[in-house]
Amino acid sequence: MAGLAQSPPRFGPGFSLRIAAYFTFAIVLFPLIAVIWVSFFENKIIGFPPTGYTLKGYFNAWSLGRFHRGFVLSVEVGLMATAASLLLGVPAAIALARKEFAGREVVHSLLMSPLVVPGIVSGAAIYMFYIETEAFLDERMHVSLPLAGSLFGLSVAHTLLALPWMVRLVTASLIGMDIQLEEAAQSLGATPLRTFWHVTLPNIRPGIVAGCVFSFVVSFVDLEKSLFLVGPGYTTLPIEMINYLEWNIDPTIAAVATMQTLVIAVALMISDHFFNLTRAF
Amino acid sequence: MTVTAEGVSDPYSRRIRPFQRLKFDSGQALLVPAVLVVVLGLLFPLLLMLRYSFNRWAAGELMIAAFTLDNYIRFFADPFYIGVLLRTLWMSLVSTAVCLLLGLPAAYYLSRLKTRWLKTALILAIVIPLLMGNAVRAAGWMVLLADKGLVNEALIYAGVLSEPVRILYTGKAVAIGLVAVLLPFMIISLQTVFDGISESYEEAAMSLGAPPWAMFYRVLLPLVMPGIFSGSLLCFVLAMNAYATPVLIGGPSFHMMAPKVAEQALKVFNWPFAASMAFVLMAVTLALTVSASLALQRRYGRM
Repeated sequence: MAGLAQSPPRFGPGFSLRIAAYFTFAIVLFPLIAVIWVSFFENKIIGFPPTGYTLKGYFNAWSLGRFHRGFVLSVEVGLMATAASLLLGVPAAIALARKEFAGREVVHSLLMSPLVVPGIVSGAAIYMFYIETEAFLDERMHVSLPLAGSLFGLSVAHTLLALPWMVRLVTASLIGMDIQLEEAAQSLGATPLRTFWHVTLPNIRPGIVAGCVFSFVVSFVDLEKSLFLVGPGYTTLPIEMINYLEWNIDPTIAAVATMQTLVIAVALMISDHFFNLTRAF
Repeated sequence: MTVTAEGVSDPYSRRIRPFQRLKFDSGQALLVPAVLVVVLGLLFPLLLMLRYSFNRWAAGELMIAAFTLDNYIRFFADPFYIGVLLRTLWMSLVSTAVCLLLGLPAAYYLSRLKTRWLKTALILAIVIPLLMGNAVRAAGWMVLLADKGLVNEALIYAGVLSEPVRILYTGKAVAIGLVAVLLPFMIISLQTVFDGISESYEEAAMSLGAPPWAMFYRVLLPLVMPGIFSGSLLCFVLAMNAYATPVLIGGPSFHMMAPKVAEQALKVFNWPFAASMAFVLMAVTLALTVSASLALQRRYGRM
């Protein structure tokens, strides 16, 4: 009975399994790698093999006002949305994680609902709402408050995008933290605010950092909502990119895409240092 | 064990309990700002748009207040829009199926990988593209698949082709683009479930003499069903609502639902029709996902 003497057969990932797996990883990564490679091409249009490598694409991209402005606007909107979702999301997460009350599930799903409603649907709805509100304020109150195509309007819409991530990640941190630390602080006489600041906050810092990074990233790359809310001369980077791509495919746009990729990769590396990324999904 | 005002508390319990001592007393008040923003910024506009979908449209004006089903009737009576809806459904089903087929081996491999650094690297390689935004990823496929893109140029250079083959701006290209965009969602959904399935199940099946495919089909597949289900659902919903991929990779003559909604709202300014299309899209997606979950629950029990 040779079989008994052996250790149980080890079912390691077989060769064909490995091939299939790496094929799949390649499909995901291939377009990103292609973009980064092409961004260094010397050719005016894409050609193979490349005639040479230069950084010209990057200088072109930087000198084109549309991408420059788009980048700045996207950063502004991303920071505003992150700040707003921090201010709204952290208190909400505390209530959700530390309080038991009727309707907690309902509130939780309500706060998660921006993730469920498709971007194109909510984008269209917010756009119509903004235009109607502008008209209403203008006619009835003689107040002119630009919403569609303004930094304020874009930031509010992007806050909706970011809020569910902030709430989800901070709630997860709060639930994972040892509640007795808070109780100990309280029983030693710390006020609730002091407890929060000196005990809770340091413990949930990874969740808050991850929440901020995710908020910024989902805002920075958003297409569907922004599509409805950008205005002439007031366009976010992803929208500038798709507008450009409808007419040109060249190393310049590849350079823009590479820069965006770089910004996000850095943000994610930072957050991965504090927080295991796959836990966010 | 600690004794608190509430009695003996179990130090290992992570149960959420009322945090009576911590006097964020008006605790629920902490929720008010966030809830207010979501209700005013999302739910109210959605209700408003639902109302608009029953309005009438007149060229030159945005809309005329009315209460009519004309916009929905127009959608379902026009073979063009029915075609758009069917194409959207078909693309979503195909890309979800392909994602599942490709995602299963990848997720399984990932979850059984013993080398820590390689596992981390591969997970990052999956998660980072997920957060790259669809504009960048569509740009990647455009660079590769255009008439003068890398694939065509390389094949011509190698002498395989004499003239470029049209790949970009076809349905196939959109399917490829969608699959690439959705794969990370599928892989992550599956991998978390595979991670929870002990390897001893596999070892038991194999040591009892099951060939690998039988082990997979009889043991692993039923166990990973919840992951398959949630991953497919996620991919399907995201594909139904895809915007950037059909617009950029499909080109102006490839029509799917989400780009049509945007076009009606932003270019034609037919708000009532745009609104009704948005709700048709949501309703069809919801109806299909709910009936799929019911059917699967009947077959496999609650998940």
